[in-house]
Amino acid sequence: MSAIMMWAPILIPLAGGLLVLPMRGKSGLREIVALLATLANLVVAIANFNSVGTWTGQWVGHGLDIVLLNYQFSAFILAAAASFALLVCLFCFRFMREKTSANQFFAYMLISLAMVDGAVLADHLVTLLFFWEGLLITLMGMIAIGRPGAFKTAVKAFVIVGISDLCLMFGMAMAGLASGTLVMSKMHLPVTDAFNALAFVLMMIGAIAKAGSMPFHSWIPDAAVDAPLPFMAILPASLEKLAGIYLLSRISLDLFQLTPESWLSPLLMIIGAVTILLAVMMALIQKDYKKLLSYHAISQVGYMVLGIGTALPVGIIGGIFHMINHAMYKSCLFLTGGAVEKQAGTTDLAKLGGLARKMPITFACFFVAACSISGVPPFNGFFSKELLYDAALDRHFIFYIAALGGSFLTAASFLKLGHAAYFGKRSSEHDNVREAPITMLLPMLVIAAACIFFGVHNSWPLRNLIQPVLGARLEGHDFAGWPHSMRLVWLTVAVLAGAIMNHIAGATVYGSGINAVDHIHYAPLLKPIYEQAERRAFDPYEIMLDVAAFIARGAWSVDRAIDWVYNRLAVGAAMLGSTFLKLLHTGDYALYVAWALAGAAIVVWYMVS
Amino acid sequence: MNALDVVLVAALVVSATMTVMTARLLRAVIGLAITSAILTMIMFRLAAPIAGVFELSVCAGLIPAIFISAIGLTRRLAAEELPARQQERLRRFWPLPVLLVLAIIVLTQWPLPIGLPDSQGPEPVTDLSTLLWNARPADLLAQVALLLGGAFAVVMLVKNVGREHE
Amino acid sequence: MRSLLILLPLAGLILLNLPGGLLAGLALPAVAALAIFEIVLAVYLPTAAFPALEQVQQLLHLSTPLDSLARVLLLSIGIVMLASLLVLHATVKAQRRRFNVANVLLISLMGMNGVVLVHDLFSLYVFLEVTSVASFVLIASSGEDTGLEGAFKYLVLSAVATVLMLSGVAMMFLFAGSTDFSAVAAALQNNSGQLLLKIAIGTFGCGLLIKGGLVPFHGWLPDAYQSAPAAISVLLAGVVTKVSGIYALFRLGISVVGLQTFSPVLLAVGALSMVVGALLALRQNSLKRLLAYSSVSQVGYIVLGLGCAGMGGPAGKLGLAAAIFHLFNHTIFKTLLFVNSAALEQRTGTSDMSVMGGLGSRMPITSTSSAIAALSIAGIPPLSGFWSKLLLIIALWQAGLYAYASLAVFVSVLTLAYMLTVQRRVFFGKCREDLLSAREASGGIVLVEAALALVIIGVGVLMPYVMNSFLLPLKGGF
Repeated sequence: MSAIMMWAPILIPLAGGLLVLPMRGKSGLREIVALLATLANLVVAIANFNSVGTWTGQWVGHGLDIVLLNYQFSAFILAAAASFALLVCLFCFRFMREKTSANQFFAYMLISLAMVDGAVLADHLVTLLFFWEGLLITLMGMIAIGRPGAFKTAVKAFVIVGISDLCLMFGMAMAGLASGTLVMSKMHLPVTDAFNALAFVLMMIGAIAKAGSMPFHSWIPDAAVDAPLPFMAILPASLEKLAGIYLLSRISLDLFQLTPESWLSPLLMIIGAVTILLAVMMALIQKDYKKLLSYHAISQVGYMVLGIGTALPVGIIGGIFHMINHAMYKSCLFLTGGAVEKQAGTTDLAKLGGLARKMPITFACFFVAACSISGVPPFNGFFSKELLYDAALDRHFIFYIAALGGSFLTAASFLKLGHAAYFGKRSSEHDNVREAPITMLLPMLVIAAACIFFGVHNSWPLRNLIQPVLGARLEGHDFAGWPHSMRLVWLTVAVLAGAIMNHIAGATVYGSGINAVDHIHYAPLLKPIYEQAERRAFDPYEIMLDVAAFIARGAWSVDRAIDWVYNRLAVGAAMLGSTFLKLLHTGDYALYVAWALAGAAIVVWYMVS
Repeated sequence: MNALDVVLVAALVVSATMTVMTARLLRAVIGLAITSAILTMIMFRLAAPIAGVFELSVCAGLIPAIFISAIGLTRRLAAEELPARQQERLRRFWPLPVLLVLAIIVLTQWPLPIGLPDSQGPEPVTDLSTLLWNARPADLLAQVALLLGGAFAVVMLVKNVGREHE
Repeated sequence: MRSLLILLPLAGLILLNLPGGLLAGLALPAVAALAIFEIVLAVYLPTAAFPALEQVQQLLHLSTPLDSLARVLLLSIGIVMLASLLVLHATVKAQRRRFNVANVLLISLMGMNGVVLVHDLFSLYVFLEVTSVASFVLIASSGEDTGLEGAFKYLVLSAVATVLMLSGVAMMFLFAGSTDFSAVAAALQNNSGQLLLKIAIGTFGCGLLIKGGLVPFHGWLPDAYQSAPAAISVLLAGVVTKVSGIYALFRLGISVVGLQTFSPVLLAVGALSMVVGALLALRQNSLKRLLAYSSVSQVGYIVLGLGCAGMGGPAGKLGLAAAIFHLFNHTIFKTLLFVNSAALEQRTGTSDMSVMGGLGSRMPITSTSSAIAALSIAGIPPLSGFWSKLLLIIALWQAGLYAYASLAVFVSVLTLAYMLTVQRRVFFGKCREDLLSAREASGGIVLVEAALALVIIGVGVLMPYVMNSFLLPLKGGF
């Protein structure tokens, strides 16, 4: 495998991004350049798909080199990232046309793609860190070019992801210290002792924070409102999930040998389960199309973390399968959101309604993706979730309950979303809403078709893309085809039926789709908690800011105290000192000569003694 | 080291101190010339005749001459200002003789354990041109540059002063 | 070829002053050509030479091969001389004064080249004197009282340095019978216990510390830098004190006495300079004076690295490489900062920061390049200053000098503080009304600013290349 092909997935989008950056105005040229760059990237990714190769470059020396490795897993992620980038780019062809900052958006998107490609190809921790941090900068840039005031959200994302990246860096340093190498494919650390376990946890924080898991999630819902919508489809929904879960899998499978016996496995599973439930609870009560989706983007990460955390082959396969499935249906959902925003002018569910007639193709895509995310057979989400249920039940039934409960609430919230946006009473404002243009529909249709294909014909992705990742660890299992436990399938179907009944009951009682889950929202115990959550009382970032403010107040009072001591007690000494300093630097050359001679005398005395 | 050396060194110290402590520029120049002359004698006694000749001609002859001509261009100090200047000078430099005396006492009472090399250094070079051209040509070039530097200093600074007065 | 570095300035000086003033108009181009020649020579170091030049070289006792340290210094001299000339061209309009200054610059160039090239203690002293005399004249060249005062202080302190160095040379000569580096080094080896030789090393070293302006030998430096005309401060701060003080100290340590003999002194003096310089820089109103104290502080870093080099071992080698690297970096960013101050002086007529403010929008290139230099001097990655400080701190840490390493980190914070103060007071905020008419400095100055800023970024970003191609061979060279 040549060095050119190795570097092409990084350099092509990077070059495209740098080319697009200065293209202002509305010539349409930048869209074409971006499209060509992503297309070329996809071609390269497909060409590289079956090759294995490594590239080492001298950098600083002392073991700090650039090492790239293209193998089955990374090639899979690269191809997926390339496909999503191309489709989102196509979507943006019309979507971003009127936006003044479109050149920045395309540039950041392409550079992000380059950084993700680099991070996925990296086989050296320092190389990985370089691309990882690069992604942080484009992330901030993409949020910041959103609506006015988005900069605050950008800073929030930057701080949260930056802190977790710092953890990642420390973890990397510890892992490097423990294994004596920084080359990722040469590391096989057991997680039995505390040092390695801490290294694992720190690196895991970096990985799951990138994926958007709790408690590093709170910038995503804010960004959903503030950032341009295709940003959500490309970064939090697909690229960052791919990169984050890819890294989590790498550290669980390669860098460290995570076993079900280790205490780290339950830790990951708890993080996953908590993320699933809390985020979906928040999603349930949202009244904004984009914000609702953004909470699901968090919740679904929980499934992946849970799956990989089980450390069982079925769980890991399920987690990775869910990652790719999620990237598909969630980007599709965000794109339908974008189409609705573009055509109807709002994403506020209270103002939407009856769009199914006006935008039938968008609705069809939404329907497929919503079924997928809810785990309706035979869409792709169903099969990955079944694998995860299997793994969770194998470890402890409580995790299974959490996962199943998450599915219930997911289904409920999508019923609410679909009902409120596409059915129900039609707002008179939207009489002349028309179907989205073809360049926006095409990406959605392709992804929706892929959702069906990955579900109906799940043996193709599982056997060709995902199961080879585990290699020998698979122990001959084959998870393709219909789930082997019919009992679990019936339980899933029962839960989905429950969700539908819940929705019908709620919609009948409250009279509209948007309020169908109000009985949960305003349930006796949950109501005050929701109120607090809506006021961001549980946002770790806000809590951190409060703590920081508290510390700052404390420091300020300490500072005042010191100041008081300084003003009252040390004023005499300070006066004396400044007088002394003035005396010292009189500008009198004789004095300077005296200093020099005294200095020389001391030096000579030292030399002879 | 015999009595003559001691007398010469003592005279050197005294004349140098006087040169620094006097408030009158002319006296200082004369002190400089005397100091250089005594130094020349010491150099002759230390078998460095070439250095001695240079010291005598340049430091005792040429430089005081230039100084005196420069002083001739300055305004004389009024007679009534002189005592005050002299006092100020004494107040400023009184530690100098004290330190010198202290140093002499210390060094004569507790001499440093200095060992000198067995050989008496290199053969004294008597042929000046050989010394300069064969042994130290780079230094010679540097000397030329130094002299040119001095010349430019005079050209630039004196011309500037002249323009200010116009 | 390298004998030309001494001969050409002298020849140029004579040609320019031929009676009739035929070639007088060529003064600035001539110096510029020599500076470029020097840069080319330092980078490429041509091996093929003319036989006649070889003979001259032998005659001048310059045949010892150049090491990387000398090449770094020659490169620095060339770069700073060029920068200084462009600033001179932009700030001094009177033809006569330009011509005179250019002549003295030639003398200074010759002196510095001599210091770098010679391998003889006495010749070293003589060329130091040439450099110093040229500096006195240059500092005073404005003809103003402050300039004369600054030059006078430098003169007096230099006289002290002269006495110290000459006594040192004399004492070493007594034992070696020659002042050649190798002869003196051999004599020092054979008479290692001699008290007189220890005193000699001490006095000679102190003379160089005065020339380099380290605390407590720094009294002359702020006045000289502040009072000198803009182009001359650039030259003085950029390279003169480094060649005449620091390079000579390197040379003395590496080629003559062995660094280990006085490394504790270097560590102590370096640390003291670092701290005192930074503390004094914190509370200055004059930009040039602040930069002067900053120079004291940064030179402290270099000397600290040199002291670390004396500890021996791999840490010592790294320390030496770091010191040389920081020497070069400091040359570049301090030159840039003084060029910035020249640009400000050109447009506001002063270097007093209390009457500046908000110039960032008026002078974008000056403010940007100044920010780059300030970040580099404070050691912010990925600029060049970060790497040299990082290497230095690593070396100190490896050598077990934890206190000095922590001190170096602490002073970096102080450095950042005072450099940011400069940025805030001069460039940030709202433009003062009396400065609304200020515009970007003239072309030559802007060119220098942009070029030096690019060097800072380039060296920083290409650090791995610099490290592998220059620094690692460097520490193997000794």
